[in-house]
Amino acid sequence: MAPADITNEVKTSGLRGRGGAGFATGIKWSFIKRDAPGPKYVVVNADESEPGTAKDRYILENSPHMVVEGILIAAYAVGANQAWVYIRGEYDEPYRMLTEAIEEARAKGYIGPKPMGKDYPLDIRLYRGHGAYICGEETALLESLEGKRAQPRSRPPFPAVKGAWGRPTLLNNVETLATVPAIINMGGAAYAKLGTDKSPGTRLLTVSGNVRKPGVYEVEFGKTFRHVIMDLAGGPPEGRKVKVFWPGGSSAPVLPESMLDVTTDAEALAAARSMAGSGGVIVMDDTHCVVKAAHRLLQFYAYESCGKCTPCRIGQDWAVRTYERILANEGSQIELDTLQRVSDGLQNGRCLCGLGDSGGWVIDSTLRHFREEYEDHALRHECNVGKVMANA
Amino acid sequence: MLDEIKELPAKYPQPRSAVMPALDLAQEELGHLTPEAMSEVASALDLDPGYVEGVATFYSLFHHRPIGKHRFYVCTNLSCMLRGAGEIVDHLKQQIGVSSSEQVSPDGLFSFEEVECLGACEYAPMMRLDHRFHYDLSPEKIDTLIADRKRLLPTGGEVSAKPTEGQAPPVKKPRAPRKKKDA
Repeated sequence: MAPADITNEVKTSGLRGRGGAGFATGIKWSFIKRDAPGPKYVVVNADESEPGTAKDRYILENSPHMVVEGILIAAYAVGANQAWVYIRGEYDEPYRMLTEAIEEARAKGYIGPKPMGKDYPLDIRLYRGHGAYICGEETALLESLEGKRAQPRSRPPFPAVKGAWGRPTLLNNVETLATVPAIINMGGAAYAKLGTDKSPGTRLLTVSGNVRKPGVYEVEFGKTFRHVIMDLAGGPPEGRKVKVFWPGGSSAPVLPESMLDVTTDAEALAAARSMAGSGGVIVMDDTHCVVKAAHRLLQFYAYESCGKCTPCRIGQDWAVRTYERILANEGSQIELDTLQRVSDGLQNGRCLCGLGDSGGWVIDSTLRHFREEYEDHALRHECNVGKVMANA
Repeated sequence: MLDEIKELPAKYPQPRSAVMPALDLAQEELGHLTPEAMSEVASALDLDPGYVEGVATFYSLFHHRPIGKHRFYVCTNLSCMLRGAGEIVDHLKQQIGVSSSEQVSPDGLFSFEEVECLGACEYAPMMRLDHRFHYDLSPEKIDTLIADRKRLLPTGGEVSAKPTEGQAPPVKKPRAPRKKKDA
């Protein structure tokens, strides 16, 4: 197949990035000028660290060859001769598995100076991260790969023009690339028939939290979260009810139990004021307090903020301190208003990357759906979650 | 080690990318990154010491004070928290006799740290210890892991041969060579 045909096939498939942002993969590939002189890179984002998401680890441990194959196809399509896999430092076993798979590919002659006899030198190398959530953001990842503190770049220029080491770079998530071989095998049109019209295909959902069968499940787009949580993952433990779930990693705005019939495609989730994100479905049952959960997540965003953008650096920390006051029974209407104000300040493009927005969405969506629980804590200085349990 | 570090820059399109692998080597040898170590890495890579320190203090896997020979990285993010990570941390602290991530057990063997999501949420609560993930944690599993490590030889090489019973993550055996497929 000619490189342009490969990219067209991926475009036809309607595949969208599985990392979190959901950008159309084929379009992203077509941004790279294949004939431009000088080195170009494919960089694989294997820095999976969105809370509640474990599917890239699952792929790397179980099907590393599929990732290698996807990388080779992508590199050939965009005219790159070198691919880098940026893998999070804590992924020891996936690192070993992928290294082994690459060595096997090398031994078989699939990569090297003349892969399968073709005059198209191609190599894959790994680069280990060292613990920073922000590296999942593509430009922060590039900074890290270049040996710097991982702080997002302002765009433009986009990585397709000026990415790793200043060269045109295609960045794709592990799952995205692992999907490509199937698309090439079955054809883009056939793949597009799976799922919904606008969100074709399947994706891996990591279901975690209060369910009986947590796991990584491949689900066709368009199924309901009720199916995913209650049928596939077995629902909450005996005697408990689903209270709330994060449909796409901790950054995706929460949905209450009453919205279990929302479907997994990006469009349905956007209509429900959430997002498909990274496919990490975190389920929380009725024995847990939403305010405490939100506090824990804001601690996470505050800790992981890279410090570059003021709203995120200051705002996340401010939110944490406000939650601390509320949970120490020192809250009042002022704290509730502060949370809303900080949440607004974190969102809507005030920061270079989505980390700022993410913290804001946690606050905003939990406040929207569970205001009463917040008021219990802030105004009445009580948590009624435990009491509900006692009466049950 | 310094010789090894000096060879790193040539492996990347631009030499600066070597800074983290170099710090890795230094940390592996010393256990944690001292100011002197960071300085030496800087001069080996021909970088400003302040720059190297800036990188080293940005990433959570670089340590700047002594840590135990075995460090428990326990995830306490949401998925693990919902399945009892708090109890695991409390139990662990008690068993190894430390109260914060900055302390090391008196015998120098253990330290711990609460960390953010490690990407194995379906096995929550979980943690990373000695370059491996440990899944579906319980206080009993923590006890066994500690006991196993206390039985290590004083020379400090390998984990005891006796496998930890019921420990979730399967240790993958080296694969048997594959049979060649026809054509």
